[in-house]
Amino acid sequence: MIKIWSMKKEAAETDRKKPKQSAAQIRVQKDMGELDDLPKTIKMHFPDPEDILNFELTITPDEGIYRGGRFKFTFKIDGNYPHKAPKVQCTQKIYHPNIDLEGNVCLNILREDWKPVLNLHSVIIGLQFLFLEPNADDPLNKEAAEDLRSNCERFKRHVIDSMRGGYVNSERFDNVLVA
Amino acid sequence: MRVKVKSWNTVAIWRWEVNDDICGICRNPFDACCPSCRVPGDDCPPMAGQCRHTFHLHCIVKWLSSDNNPEQLCPMDRQPWRK
Repeated sequence: MIKIWSMKKEAAETDRKKPKQSAAQIRVQKDMGELDDLPKTIKMHFPDPEDILNFELTITPDEGIYRGGRFKFTFKIDGNYPHKAPKVQCTQKIYHPNIDLEGNVCLNILREDWKPVLNLHSVIIGLQFLFLEPNADDPLNKEAAEDLRSNCERFKRHVIDSMRGGYVNSERFDNVLVA
Repeated sequence: MRVKVKSWNTVAIWRWEVNDDICGICRNPFDACCPSCRVPGDDCPPMAGQCRHTFHLHCIVKWLSSDNNPEQLCPMDRQPWRK
């Protein structure tokens, strides 16, 4: 006969030895399970493999104005996830109407439209969308937004100059070109 | 033939009658509990709004009382949550 009571006890024992996972960690783990089918333009990197709440994301758009660039973000997820959105920051200085010079990102679902039924997949796809369809409404970089609105050709030129590490509107940007 | 029953064991199963398997907020099954509870059952029930969207009671209450949701909207359809 299987000694079910002693098995239960053993299980409880090993349970106690394991550090208890927080609600946020459990949810992030479930989110990660859905990230297997990410497009090849998106890569994740975990500087500390033990810590799934902090990681880096690289987006290498294969179409659109930002093609040829490689854009890096950090994700910081706190204990209130999924009731609070992850904190996402661009680690490079880039010229983009929806990303300011400090790397703050203006994406509705990271701010006012966040809701806890969203997951990391929605955020990552939303971020990639910003590079395919930068939008001039609700900008964080007003000059870039103004360029995009008034003169699309000039905007494209500025994007290319900035991605090379050049100057745009007397501001020096980081070289983000895929080497 | 005479049979003498010496003892018997009864077994029962239960599940919540809801229109979904998992809670959209924590992604745990309704038949399991929300992440802040330890045991499933009456202490961690599912809750449906008038919109029929269903979450663990604890998950939806937390979201309805969140600073990020001052208008108390259902996280699925962004309509005001009504019991």
